[in-house]
Amino acid sequence: MKTNKKIEWPYWVHVPILILLPFICPYSALATNILIYGIFAMGFNLLLGYTGLLSFGHASFFGLGAFTTGLFLLKLKTHVGVAIAAGVLMATLGGVVIGYISLKRREVYFAMLTLAFSQLLFFIGLQMKDLTGGDNGLAGIPIVKLPLGINLGRPLHSYYFMFVIFIVVSYFIRRLLKSPFGKAMQAVRENENRATSCGYNTRRIKFISFILSTLISGLSGSLYCIQLRFVPLETLGLNTNGEVIFMTLIGGLGTFWGPLVGSSVFLLLIDLTSKIIERWELIVGLVFIGFIMFLNRGICGLIEKARSARKQRRGAPAGSV
Amino acid sequence: MKILETKELTKSFGGLTAVAGVNYQANQGELSTIIGPNGAGKTTFFNMIAGTFPPTSGEIWFRGENITHLPAHEVSRKSIARSYQIINIFPNLTVFENLRIASQSRKVTYNFWKDVEELEDINQKATKVLETMMLQDRRETLAASLPYGEQRHLEIGIALATEPELLLMDEPTAGLTPDETIRIMELIQTIARGLTIILVAHDMDVVMRVSDRITVLHQGKILAEGKPGDIQKNEEVQRVYLGGQRY
Amino acid sequence: MIGLSLGVIYVLMASGLSIIFGLLRVVNFAHGTFYMLGAYGFFYILTLSGHFWVALVAAPITIAAIGMLTEIVTIRPLYGTTEINPLLLTLGLTYVFVDVIRISFGLAGEPTSIPQGFAGAIDLGFMIFPKYRFFIILVGAAVISLVWLFVNKTNIGMVIRAGTKDSEMVQILGINVRRLWTMVFGIGIALASLAGALAAPISGINPEMGEFTVIEAFVVVVVGGMGSLAGSVVAGLLVGEIVAITTLYYGQAGHASIFALMVIVLLTTRYGLFGEA
Repeated sequence: MKTNKKIEWPYWVHVPILILLPFICPYSALATNILIYGIFAMGFNLLLGYTGLLSFGHASFFGLGAFTTGLFLLKLKTHVGVAIAAGVLMATLGGVVIGYISLKRREVYFAMLTLAFSQLLFFIGLQMKDLTGGDNGLAGIPIVKLPLGINLGRPLHSYYFMFVIFIVVSYFIRRLLKSPFGKAMQAVRENENRATSCGYNTRRIKFISFILSTLISGLSGSLYCIQLRFVPLETLGLNTNGEVIFMTLIGGLGTFWGPLVGSSVFLLLIDLTSKIIERWELIVGLVFIGFIMFLNRGICGLIEKARSARKQRRGAPAGSV
Repeated sequence: MKILETKELTKSFGGLTAVAGVNYQANQGELSTIIGPNGAGKTTFFNMIAGTFPPTSGEIWFRGENITHLPAHEVSRKSIARSYQIINIFPNLTVFENLRIASQSRKVTYNFWKDVEELEDINQKATKVLETMMLQDRRETLAASLPYGEQRHLEIGIALATEPELLLMDEPTAGLTPDETIRIMELIQTIARGLTIILVAHDMDVVMRVSDRITVLHQGKILAEGKPGDIQKNEEVQRVYLGGQRY
Repeated sequence: MIGLSLGVIYVLMASGLSIIFGLLRVVNFAHGTFYMLGAYGFFYILTLSGHFWVALVAAPITIAAIGMLTEIVTIRPLYGTTEINPLLLTLGLTYVFVDVIRISFGLAGEPTSIPQGFAGAIDLGFMIFPKYRFFIILVGAAVISLVWLFVNKTNIGMVIRAGTKDSEMVQILGINVRRLWTMVFGIGIALASLAGALAAPISGINPEMGEFTVIEAFVVVVVGGMGSLAGSVVAGLLVGEIVAITTLYYGQAGHASIFALMVIVLLTTRYGLFGEA
C-alpha cells in the first residue's frame, strides 16, 4: 500500500546506524547497554507512553528477568535460549500477578502498588541470599558460547547478538503499535471513558498492555544478566525504577524511537560526566528536570511535533494520505 | 415498535433522588427529545442507560433484552452509542484516528499484528463518518486543535462510527453559535434516517423542529409526553419549564 | 516503646506528604530528601551554634524556605500540564539534592549522638523510656496538634480544606491559590525536615537517609488515606509499631512487611483507612 512504502524506509534506517554504534561509542559495552536499556525503556514506554499508565515498579520485571536467567545459567547450567525464555517467563508471570492486583486501583494508587511490589521483591531478594546472593548479588555467571564460534564474552560478539534481538523485538513492537490493539491502547491513554463507551473493555486492554510491557522489560533483564555476567540486587531496586523513567521521558513518551534515544542520551551522559566529575547523579538529575520543565515531550516528541506542525501548515488536501 | 424501555427507573445519590420511577419508551426510527430544566435528571437518565452507573432500582430493556446491569462497554456492544454534553474526544490523535478507533471497537481489538491502515472496511467506515460529519478537510488535524464547533462534529462522529442502532445525544448543541446549531441539527436530521435517536436538548427552537416525540422531565419524573404541538399547548409544561417564554 | 517514637517520625513525614498531595495533588518524591536536609541542617546549625533548641527550630524553617523556593521555581510552572509532571520533577529533585549534599559534605555523612540533656531514661511509672525518644513523641504530638488546629480552626486552614475539595472554586473566590499552594508546600516540607532533625541524633546523618524513609512515608500515607491528617496519624503510629516489631525479629527484611500491609489496605479499602478520592 502506498502509505506503508512511504514510511517504511525511515524505519529501517536505524539498522545501519546500530550496526555502526559500537564504533561510535567510546567502548562497545556501552553500545550494548544502550540496546539493553533501550529494550527496557521500550517496554516501559508501551505502558506509560502508549497506554498512559505510570508504573513505579518496573524494576520488578527487569530484576526478575535478570535473576532468573542468571540462576538458569549459573545453577542449572542450561542453554542460553532456555535461560532467556525462563527469565522472560518469570518476569511475565510477575507481570500477570502484579498487574492484576495493581490495576484494581487507578493512577497514583496504581503507581504506589507497583512500587510496593517492587520493594517487596527487593527485600525478598535481600533475604534469599542463597538464590540471589543478597546484597552482593549473583556473581560468576558463565560466559555464553554459541555455535559458529560466537563468544558472548567478547564485546563485539555480545553487541551483535543483542543487536539481532533488538531488531526483532523492536519490529514486533512496531507492528503492535500499528495494530488495532496498539490503537486501542492509545485510546485508553487519550480518554479512557470514551474508549469504554465506544465498546472497549479498557480494564482488559490495560492488563494486556501491562503484561506485554513486563515481558519486554523482563527480556531486557535477561540480556543484562548475560552481558554483565553478574546480577546486582539493585536491578530490583529504586534506582532502576527511576532510571527507566528518566530514559523514557528524555527520549520522548509515546514515541517509537524515544526509548532508544533516551537510553543513548542517558548512558552517554553518565559516561561523559563520570569522566569529568565524579558525581553523575547531579548532572542527570538536572538534565531530567530541564527536560520536564522545558522539553517535556522529549527529544523524539519534539521532532514529531515539529514534523506534524509543518505538515499541518502545508495543509493536507482532502483525501490525501 | 418499542426499541428501548425503562421500567420504574430510579437513581438516588444519598438523600437526593435524581431520577424517580421513570417509565420511558422510545420507538424505533424516531427522533425523541427529552427536555427539562437543569437538574431534572436528564444526564443521569442517560448515564444509566449507557451503563455508566447502575440504577438504584428499576429496569432497562433494549430490543427485548434486559440491559439494566450491563457495564458500559457491553452496552456499547449492544449497538447503543452516546455523545456527550462536554466534549469527550481523543485529543492527541487525528480526527481520522478518532473515528477509526470508534469504528474498529466492535471487531478487531485484540489483533496485535495486522496494520490497521490495511483494514479496508474499518478505514472505509471511518471515512464515511468523516464525510457525513463534514470533517474531510480536517482529516489529519489533531483533535485538540479543532475549533469548538468542529469538535462537536467529531464528538458526534465518534458515537456514530460505532454503528449504533440507538444513539443517545446529550446536549449536542451546547456552546454552539446559532449558525453552528443549525448545521448540527441538519446533520442530526441526516443521520437520523435508519437510526433511533434520543436527544437531550435545551434549545426549544431545535426541539420543536426536529422531534417526533418530546418527553418533559421535571425533578426526576416525567411531567408530560407527546408530539411537539401537544407539548407546546400543555399548561403544566408551560408553567414549570417554558414559563415566561413566548412558546 | 521504640515503635511509638518511630511512629511519630512517620506521622510527621506522612502528614507533610498528605497535606501536599491533598491540596496540590502532587506526589512529592523529594520528601525524603527534605527529611535528609532537615537532619543535615539541624546537625550543622547545632555544630555552629551549640544550641539545641536553636538548631531544632531553625533547621525546619530554613529547609522549608528552600522547599518553597524550589516549588516556586520548578513545580509551579508545571501545574496544569499533566498529572505526572510535578511527580516526575520531584523525582529529579531527589537526585539533584542528594548529590549536592554528597559533594558539599562528603559521601559518608556524620555520626551523631543524643545531646547531654536528653541522655538516659526516665521512669514513667509503668515503664522506663529513653528520654530522647520520649522527647520526640512530645514534640511530634505538639506539632501535629498545632497543624491540626491550623487546618481545622483557622481561616487559612478553612481555605486549605476547601481547596482540597475544589481548587477551582477557591480561585473564583479571589484567593491567591498559588501563594496558598506554596505555603502548604512549605508546611509539608517543614514537617519533613523537622522529622529529619528529630531523628538525626539517633540515626546519624548521611546523604541517603531519606531515600527509604520516603517510601515508608508513602506507605503510611496510602494506608491512612491520602489527604487525611487523621489517617496519617493513625497509620503512622501503626506502621511505626509494625516496623519496630518486625525488624526486631527479622532484621532488615522486616521493612518488607509494610509493603504487604499497603497492598492489603489498598485492596480492601478504596482510599486507605480514612481517605476519600
